[in-house]
Order: sequence, then C-alpha cells, then structure tokens
Amino acid sequence: MLHSQKHVFWQALLVTIVIFSLGILMGFILENWRTSKVDQLFKKSEIDLLDARVQNEIYTGKNFDCSLAINENIKFADRIYNEAKTLDRYETASRLSDEIYLEHKKYDILRVLLLLNSMKIKEKCNSTYHEVVYFYNFNEQDINKKAKQNVYSNQLREIKEYKGDKMLLIPIAGNINVSSINLLLDVYDIKESDLPVIVIDGKIKVMDIKKLEDLKKYFE
Amino acid sequence: MIYVRNRNNFFEYPRTNKNYSVSFVVPAYNEGKSIRETVEHIFDIGYGNIREVIVVNDCSKDNTQEVVESLMKKYPKLKLINNKKNLGSAAASQNAGLKEAKGELIAIVDGDSFPAKLSINKMAGFFDDPKVGAVTCPVLARNKNKFWEKIQGIEYQAISFARKLLEYVDAIYVTPGPLALYRKTTLDEIGGFDESNMTQDIEATWHLAHNGWDRKMCLGTHVTSIVPNKIKPWWRQRRRWNIGGLQCIYKYRKFIGKKGMLGFFIIPFFMINMFLGLFGLGVFFYVLTRNIISKFLYTNYSIQAGTPLLTLSEFYITPSFLNYLGIVLFVAGLIYILAILSILKEKIMTKENILNIPFYLILYLILYPFIMINSIYYYYKGKWVWR
Repeated sequence: MLHSQKHVFWQALLVTIVIFSLGILMGFILENWRTSKVDQLFKKSEIDLLDARVQNEIYTGKNFDCSLAINENIKFADRIYNEAKTLDRYETASRLSDEIYLEHKKYDILRVLLLLNSMKIKEKCNSTYHEVVYFYNFNEQDINKKAKQNVYSNQLREIKEYKGDKMLLIPIAGNINVSSINLLLDVYDIKESDLPVIVIDGKIKVMDIKKLEDLKKYFE
Repeated sequence: MIYVRNRNNFFEYPRTNKNYSVSFVVPAYNEGKSIRETVEHIFDIGYGNIREVIVVNDCSKDNTQEVVESLMKKYPKLKLINNKKNLGSAAASQNAGLKEAKGELIAIVDGDSFPAKLSINKMAGFFDDPKVGAVTCPVLARNKNKFWEKIQGIEYQAISFARKLLEYVDAIYVTPGPLALYRKTTLDEIGGFDESNMTQDIEATWHLAHNGWDRKMCLGTHVTSIVPNKIKPWWRQRRRWNIGGLQCIYKYRKFIGKKGMLGFFIIPFFMINMFLGLFGLGVFFYVLTRNIISKFLYTNYSIQAGTPLLTLSEFYITPSFLNYLGIVLFVAGLIYILAILSILKEKIMTKENILNIPFYLILYLILYPFIMINSIYYYYKGKWVWR
C-alpha cells in the first residue's frame, strides 16, 4: 500500500523558495546590469560636460570661441537626450530596484548643469539657437497627464529633427525632489501641479496642447 | 517531485483475490444516443461478479427508456428504474439507484461514459485496504475530432495526471461521475449523494475525506466520456462545476484548518485557486482599461496637436524582469503538459498538438476566471439548475 507523502509539501516549499529567490536574484542582476550600463554612459557624459565647462572657463574674454562652444554644447545635449531615451526604456522595464531612479536624478542634475552652461554661452556669444527646457513628471501615474507628456515628447522630437543644431532640447523631470531643479522651477514660476510645461528660450511657457504648426512658430 | 519519486509504481494497482460484487448505477437523462454503448461497455468490462446494472431514467424526453428496455432482453442483470417525476439531478437518480443496489461496491457510470475493459478488475484491488472508500480513474475525452474536443482531451489528461499526484498526499478531491467505484457501506455512511449540490461527485469525495476515508486513483485503466463539442455547452458544464465547488466550499467552510487534508489542503486549494483566478482577471482588466483610456487620450491629444499617432521610436524591446518571468512560466507550463502527455503515452509531436498545446496553455486556461465570475453571479443569484 502507498504511504502518504505529505512531507513533499515542505520540500516543494523549499524548492519554490529557492527557485523564487533565484528568479528575484536574476531580476536584480538584470536590472543592475542595465543600471551599470546607464552609469557608464552617465560618467562619460559627466566628464564631457565638465570638460566643456572648464573649456568655457579657459576661453575667457576675446579668446572665447563661441561657435566651438555652441557646437559642443548642442552636440552634448543631443547625446544626453538620446541617452535619456535609453534611460527611459530601462526605467519602464525596471521592477525591482530603485537604482535606475537614482541614475535618473543624476542625469537630471547633469541636464541642469548643461542648461546653466548653455545660458552662459548664449549670454556671452549672443547666440540665436533656441533653448528648450521640457519639464515633465517622472513616473507619471495620471493617465491624462501621461498622454499629454507623450504628445509633448513627440512634438519636441519632431521640432528637434526639423531644427537640428538650431535647437537645444533639455528634458528635466520636475518632480524628483532635487533642490536645483526646484529652484529652476521657481525661476520659471512653475508649480509641480502645472507639469508638463515646455519653456522656450526662458520666456515662453507652453502648458496646453498646441498644434505642431503653432508650436513651430515659436522657433521661426 | 511526487512523480519523480514514484515514477516506478505510478501506473501500478493492487491485485486482489477477493471477488467483490459490484452494482453499477447509471443515471440517464436524454442519453438515447449513448446509453446503449454505455451499457454494452459495462457488460463487456470483463469483471466476473457484476451484481446488477441499474439504469435510472430521469423522465428522459428521448428514447432512453426504449433503448434500455430493448437491452434488458439481452442482459438479464440490467435493471431500469423510471423516476415517476423528473428529479432534476444526477445525484437524485444515483441515490434512487443506490437504494436498489446490492453489491459490495458501487460503480457510478454516467450515461454518456464508457469504462475501459477490465477497469473494475484493476480498481477493485484498492478496496482490500479497509480505509479506502472510493477509487477513481482517468477520464479521457471520447470524441477528439473537433478542435474544441482535442483541447479538452489535453485538459483531461492533465487533470488525470494531477489527480494521481494528489493521491500520494491524500488530497484527491473528486471521484468523477464517468466512472467512480465506491464501497457501498461508505456511501451509506455519508447518506448517498447530496442532491442539492451541482457537483455531487466533488461533494461526496469531500464528505469521504471529512469522514476519514481514503480516495485512490487507478492510472492502470480509464473511462472515456463524451465532452462538449461547442463552447456554449462547455461553458455551461464548467459553470456547473464551479457552482458545485462554491457550494462545497460553503458547506465545508467550518472545516478549514481541520479534518486533515480536507481542511488543510483541499478547501484552501479550491479557495486560493478561485482567488488567484479572480485576482489575475482583476489585474488584467485594470491594466487593459487603463491602457485603452490612455491610448484614447493619447490619440485625442495627438490629433489635437497634429502629431503622428505612431512613430518608429515607440517600437523597441526592453523586457522587464516580469516579462522574463512570464516566459519562464509559459515554458514551465509547456514542459509540464508535454511531460504529462509523454508519461500518459499520448502521441505528442503531432501536427495538431503543435497548435493545440500552446492554445490550451495561453487561451483556454485564460477563460477559466471568466467562467468563475459567471459562476459566482449564478451562485449569488441562486440561478443554478443541473440541466
């Protein structure tokens, strides 16, 4: 006759715990691998920006090479804009660890630095390129605002493709509790509840959906 | 783990020298098309001590009665009980048959089911153990021509395999109607089948577990049964099973955490199954609704803004940890089903199975929670009838 094998429940529980733990561990490894990839990109960008700022400091007065500084700045902005897209994809797929969120914060501070650098260059060189800061909500849960943000992103991408080097696009998350970003929001008189907001050349604030053609007019 | 440990005796069954007398009880309602074959299968089963075969006709509207009467000339041990009025459930007909049955063992056979040859010979040996109250065997799909029937064929195999595994932990929770063998005294002890329950076979098995009787599964034989060939009758059948399950949970709720495996495993297993199904469906609907509203808003804003609805940059693959988990779960399910079919000697690598098995795993099983919601509604409204 067969004997009951109820002890298999405990064994199965142990095996389940082991498999589950392995799964979670693999998940952490996957996400950490992505984070370290983003971190590498960040470090490179951070060095480049610091390099650009130091260059600006060195080229003072009449030695300041405006066209070079502007080009470097826009190139750099384009690169971190593209890196932001990778970061965004990883953030969407991130489930276990908040490391990627910290990377995001670091990137946003880097973007503020870039903006400050750009402001300085514009002032010095009396440059005509457009400086667009796109303040949005990180990890937006409100589906209405999220849809609005997606449309803003599409519009800005289209305009960027159209304007190329004539536009510096800096997306910054406005709700990640970073003091410098909060200060910046204060400067532009934007509340967190107003987000998403597009600020063009530090003067024009776009807070509602506009036709793409109408938006393009700001860049004429 | 259970299978690996017991793979050498998985299909074994105890032989017996005892010659138990067996009474067959066959409830029948409108089984004119199948009852002849069912009766012939029973008499052709190869068991030496059939006491009687009792067909209980529940006022069928078709020719069930005539068919059985014509068979009585050929089989003297065949008896026909015609219920005076329609009792409305298989349980009531089974109880009517039980009153007349004289055998030491009672074989319940549905009017559209066909026990395999020597099935009783293989199942009867389990009763040498005085603790055994009921023995069941794999129920296989009789009709496997249409797509929906083939899918159920896979499901029935999976259920049979799982039931055998449950035997090793004293957790068999149903001895299904197509063929179940009971000790007569056991059925008498529990007062026969619960006529108010939509799944009297589940209820009887829980009752046996409650009273401390062992239930066994004989993989050495099988019974085939006609499965619904369309979605509507299939849905109705499953709804009846679910309502029966809910009735059982309600009836035995006070035994959660008591009465051995009934309270520690069977009832919680049923409840967790239902909860997980409903929870999963809830999450699914939440995500779906959110996505639809989100897409609607996005489309609206995009039209308003004059931007394209789809751009190439939106097409990318960055799977999350949960996506990988889903793939692992699917592959594990696939391996499980393939292993079952292989162990149960089913031809696996047929052209049909390449489509059928993924369909079973992805779409067929997803329907379960929907049926559960429908069943809960019917249960709550008290809208349940056996037929």
